[in-house]
Amino acid sequence: MGLESMDDFECELQQGMLRRPAPPGLKRKIMARKKALDSERTHHRVVFWQRLAASIVLCGAVGGGVSWHNIQERRKGEAAREQVMVALRIASHLLNQMNEQLAEHNEEK
Amino acid sequence: MSHDWQPDFEKLVDEHQSMVFSLALRMSGDRGLAEEIAQDVFLELDRNLGRIESPEHALNWLRRVVMNRSADALRRQRVRGIDLWVEMDENHGAQYEPRSNPLGARLEGLLATLPSPQRAALVLRYQEGLTPDEIAATLESPLATVKSNLQRGLKLLRAKAESHLKEYIRGT
Repeated sequence: MGLESMDDFECELQQGMLRRPAPPGLKRKIMARKKALDSERTHHRVVFWQRLAASIVLCGAVGGGVSWHNIQERRKGEAAREQVMVALRIASHLLNQMNEQLAEHNEEK
Repeated sequence: MSHDWQPDFEKLVDEHQSMVFSLALRMSGDRGLAEEIAQDVFLELDRNLGRIESPEHALNWLRRVVMNRSADALRRQRVRGIDLWVEMDENHGAQYEPRSNPLGARLEGLLATLPSPQRAALVLRYQEGLTPDEIAATLESPLATVKSNLQRGLKLLRAKAESHLKEYIRGT
């Protein structure tokens, strides 16, 4: 069993380098860590979907609020315009009446 | 590519835990660290299980990842060769497993004192029985570098064996 020749040396090296058996419990530890990671991943997934759902609801609520506010503003604007139109119609009517009265007064003269 | 193959994580752990642990142990020189590396490697395998196409792919993937992880761990720990040799010898040569081949155990201890690239090449060559081409593929290194590491590693190991293991040479 000398180390003189390279072949013997390599042979010894190969003998000394056989695979070692894994420590007892390695597989159990791996499976336990995998289980913990899997449940953590599931928890993260649930939290992600909950947050996504909450974000969608919040965005919907904010968007709905903004839309409702815009509609209300438009309605107010339309009502104000309507009031202005009524006022203009009344003023126009009054001016017409005054014109007619003036015309009658001029004819009498 | 055998896409019909369905990887079974538990079966893969059963089949390859010894190989993964041995590579990690011989690269890191620390039993606790090797066990930690082996666990991390298998958990990474679990994350990438969908990409594994065949049993050979799984084996090569595990070899590549355990070598990378061990190299990273070594880089982090900056373990000095001679300390590693002492630890290997004390913890792994005799305490955990009585070895039928004491010279082999001493050679294994000396292997831990080699520079990491040479050790990686020798471990894959003599533990796993890989060819230089396969080692180059596993380590993602040029073939010439692997051949050079194998030659230099063997030469260095032989020189260390001749100076450290004289009793075995003379006695047998």
